[in-house]
Amino acid sequence: MNGSINASASMGGATIGAARVDLDSVKKWYGPVLAVRGVSLSIEPGEMVCFLGPSGCGKTTTLRMIAGLETPDEGEIRIGGEAVNRLPPWKRNVGMVFQNYALFPHMTVAENIAFGLNMRGTSGSEVRAKVEAAMAQVRLADYGDRRPSQLSGGQRQRIALARAIVTRPNVLLLDEPLAALDKKLREQMQVEIKQLQRAVGITTVFVTHDQEEALTLADRIVVMEEGRIVQIGAPSDVYERPKSRFVSDFIGYTNAVSGKVEAITAGRARVSTASGHAFEVPAGEGISAGDRVDLVIRPEKVVVDPANTDGLMVLDGTLVHTVYTGAVTYSHVDIGAGDVLIAMSPNAHGEAATAPGGRLRIGLRPDTMLMFPSRG
Amino acid sequence: MSSSEALSNSHAPKATSGERALSLYVCLILLFLALPIFIVVPLAFSSDASLSFPPHGFSFRWFVNMVNRQEFLRAAGLSAMLAVVATICSLIVGSLAAVGLVRYHFPGRDTLLMVFMTPLIFPAIVLGAGLALMFSPLGLLRNFWGLLLAHMVVTFPYCLRTSLATLHEVDKALEEAAYTLGANRWRTFRHVTLPLMRPGLLAGATFSLIISFDEFTITMFLAGPGLMTLPLEMYNYTEFSLDPTIAAISTVLLIITSIAIVIIEKLVGLGKQFS
Ligand SMILES: Nc1ncnc2c1ncn2[C@@H]1O[C@H](COP(=O)(O)OP(=O)(O)OP(=O)(O)O)[C@@H](O)[C@H]1O
Ligand SMILES: [Mg+2]
Repeated sequence: MNGSINASASMGGATIGAARVDLDSVKKWYGPVLAVRGVSLSIEPGEMVCFLGPSGCGKTTTLRMIAGLETPDEGEIRIGGEAVNRLPPWKRNVGMVFQNYALFPHMTVAENIAFGLNMRGTSGSEVRAKVEAAMAQVRLADYGDRRPSQLSGGQRQRIALARAIVTRPNVLLLDEPLAALDKKLREQMQVEIKQLQRAVGITTVFVTHDQEEALTLADRIVVMEEGRIVQIGAPSDVYERPKSRFVSDFIGYTNAVSGKVEAITAGRARVSTASGHAFEVPAGEGISAGDRVDLVIRPEKVVVDPANTDGLMVLDGTLVHTVYTGAVTYSHVDIGAGDVLIAMSPNAHGEAATAPGGRLRIGLRPDTMLMFPSRG
Repeated sequence: MSSSEALSNSHAPKATSGERALSLYVCLILLFLALPIFIVVPLAFSSDASLSFPPHGFSFRWFVNMVNRQEFLRAAGLSAMLAVVATICSLIVGSLAAVGLVRYHFPGRDTLLMVFMTPLIFPAIVLGAGLALMFSPLGLLRNFWGLLLAHMVVTFPYCLRTSLATLHEVDKALEEAAYTLGANRWRTFRHVTLPLMRPGLLAGATFSLIISFDEFTITMFLAGPGLMTLPLEMYNYTEFSLDPTIAAISTVLLIITSIAIVIIEKLVGLGKQFS
């Protein structure tokens, strides 16, 4: 692809920094605020992990503790098996890409990339060779003499990436590196970062609050809420089998109806809703008959006007409104008593025919519904 | 016309008359401030033997007298030496202190900052007397090193202030990036922070050089025979002979200062340091 980083050019031959990273009950206070409340996590060598969560949940703080820019108040951090709690950042051999890139404005692009090598006492000719290779790798070979201020956002991003990996760090840390880029460039850079990460095989921690970015990039997603990890898993795990209502809402559309558990028999719970429907869904742990619950389903698992109703539970409803997004349309359907389910349908044959206010049939498999205790 | 009148007038919708009054007011102030210059410079080229204005003839004789008098050259040398060394020392200590004060939060930080700044507002006469009393038992009275210390006391706040101002502008993430790239605190300061503080350091150096070269009150308590700065020597001279030599020296200083300020302004924009 035209806009991809030259992933086949390895960083000077050897594979770099595939170190294991362990966090063990790590806590961090800012004054009276407990920003990170006991995070435990093991990141495999060469793995790419995304920290995902809402603003203020402690993603940056955790990342900065791995970098050594903050010191944990409790717990231990190990890089490559070695405890690094007392090690300053300059001795940790990590590479970090900051949200605003933090390129040195008083240095040229080449000097920026060479900085880490110079600090390590690498010889002049080796520095030049490595800087050139790194610039070629991020496709900015001719930009060495420019100042960071003379680069576009995407180019700065690439230089920051080149600067972070040219020293062959043990771990690469990225704090929302794409947040400042527009959508198109962001998607392109996601691909480039992933390719580069694969090519150099570096253990990577990526912070984002963009769920799509996390799903695209991560080998594993670490979902955080209020300083805690609430779920760790592969993207499909986290998306298909969220452990809590919070995770399911944070990753993907909120699409839920509330009801009451009537009975639980043979691993299936019978949930009745105010709209007069009864859903037979897989029973979850810690839920018993009589509990108020929310049933959550992904919009793409709700079919509009199903032709083949085999194994589907069919509901009649009224179309409240539609959200047209180009490739797909989201139909908000009132199934009675104000319960609204969102159905996603591909716009394969042009736009949907039903106008808001019209009757609409939707179909879903109750098996694919997730049951969580009602909030409040 | 008072300033408050002029300012309130300028708020009127059609403030042309008010604005005109304000401009006039500003011009008068500038004229008043510059008046000594308009008198001193012509006097320097006077052929009269006394300080009478306007001068009756043109000559360079007072410039010649200035150069011929050993004490002025010696004093200028000492003043320049003091100004340069005090400035360098103040810049080094000031920039490091600024990093400590801005980047690290420790108890007593605000108090310390205030203590550093006191020489700016402390009556110089008290400071001079105090230093003289302190230096006397230490053997630093009538001593170059004592003088240097005293000049550092007055130039340091300026260097610290301008350092603080530019350091606030330096993104902390740049230093953190340097740390993660393997630079320890000192190397980060040396290769990242310090170069980015350059405008503030240059401005601080300008202030510091001028303040030190110009220093009179404190120096008077500490200097002595054989250890005279230019302002003291000029003052001494006027006690015995009130001729335009003083005006000639002032003119030379004026030219040097103007050139220095223009150069610095070109380099960094001195005006920014006041905004
Ligand atoms: N330097 C600091 N001093 C005091 N409190 C801080 C500091 N840095 C972070 N916090 C607090 O710690 C908590 C976690 O902050 P953190 O920056 O780690 O969140 P985040 O997940 O990165 O959020 P965002 O997505 O907005 O970047 C927040 O409540 C924040 O207010
Ligand atoms: Mg953050």
